[in-house]
Amino acid sequence: MKVKVVTNILEANDRIAAENKKIFDEADVYVINIMSGPGAGKTSLLERTIRGLDGAMKIGVIEGDIAGTDDAERIGKLGTPVIQINTGGGCHLDANMIREVLDDLPLKDLDLLIIENVGNLVCPAEFKLGEDMKVMLLSIAEGHDKPLKYPLMFQESSALLLNKIDLLPYTNVDMEKIKKDSLSLNPKLKIFEVSCKTGEGISGWTTWLQSLVKK
Amino acid sequence: MHEVSIAQGLLDIAIKSCTKQGYGRIDSIKVKVGKASGIVPDSLLFAFEALKSGTMADKAVLTIEEIPVSGFCKKCSKKFTVEEAYVISCPVCGSTSFDVETGRELNIDEMEVF
Repeated sequence: MKVKVVTNILEANDRIAAENKKIFDEADVYVINIMSGPGAGKTSLLERTIRGLDGAMKIGVIEGDIAGTDDAERIGKLGTPVIQINTGGGCHLDANMIREVLDDLPLKDLDLLIIENVGNLVCPAEFKLGEDMKVMLLSIAEGHDKPLKYPLMFQESSALLLNKIDLLPYTNVDMEKIKKDSLSLNPKLKIFEVSCKTGEGISGWTTWLQSLVKK
Repeated sequence: MHEVSIAQGLLDIAIKSCTKQGYGRIDSIKVKVGKASGIVPDSLLFAFEALKSGTMADKAVLTIEEIPVSGFCKKCSKKFTVEEAYVISCPVCGSTSFDVETGRELNIDEMEVF
């Protein structure tokens, strides 16, 4: 016999994400999920953000990588509480991976928790982790065709940071096209142009982030 | 890219729902996959075939209905459907003020159980 099921296949993940969100809210910690392709500069952005907000708030980090602990070691050097998750081949973090490490973080002492997702422009956008907002990082050298090639990532994010603007003189990237296409996909997207290498534009980002965390 | 975990998720939901209703065998499962869901139907079918063996869905046939991206334009009040996995403007009048209504689905719709 035929039976109607009508269930979202990601339901199990969404349920755990909702539980994570409740834990974060109870601990009064603001959570952002940072996503980008490999090598766009997520860990460098974390270092700049942590330094930029030093003293203003207490930050914790969850690092997601397929393998290795390089990123967590970089963040640990700044004195920031950090947990490394290795997905062992998995192309994204999911809500359950986050749930399993929450007890190892001093959540109640934190104002802001930054989750660095696995470098991938496709899958991380589909899996809720329990975050307050998703933030996307695109390095300008990746090319101006990315918004329309990977629309979901741009649609799901609240902010887009365009990194490596120090490389602008050496590329033929069309910044206006990136911004126009991104805003067409997501008119509410907040866009920042930054260089994690020189520090240019970082204060605009950290000031905005601070205004959200303090709410 | 992660169709294997999606296939495992759908198999888990189907088996749980089948057992809960007192049945022991799944003959078919129909899923709806939106074109903007990021899922490649062929990869999902391949993963499902690999994962179903040894379960009560051993002989189950998976059918995938692809749902196109469609929306409603707030300016010209027309419904529209597009070929791409995204909409940046209403294909009828060009307005950028619209609501996307379908295309993100990733649902089990129905199944045949015995």
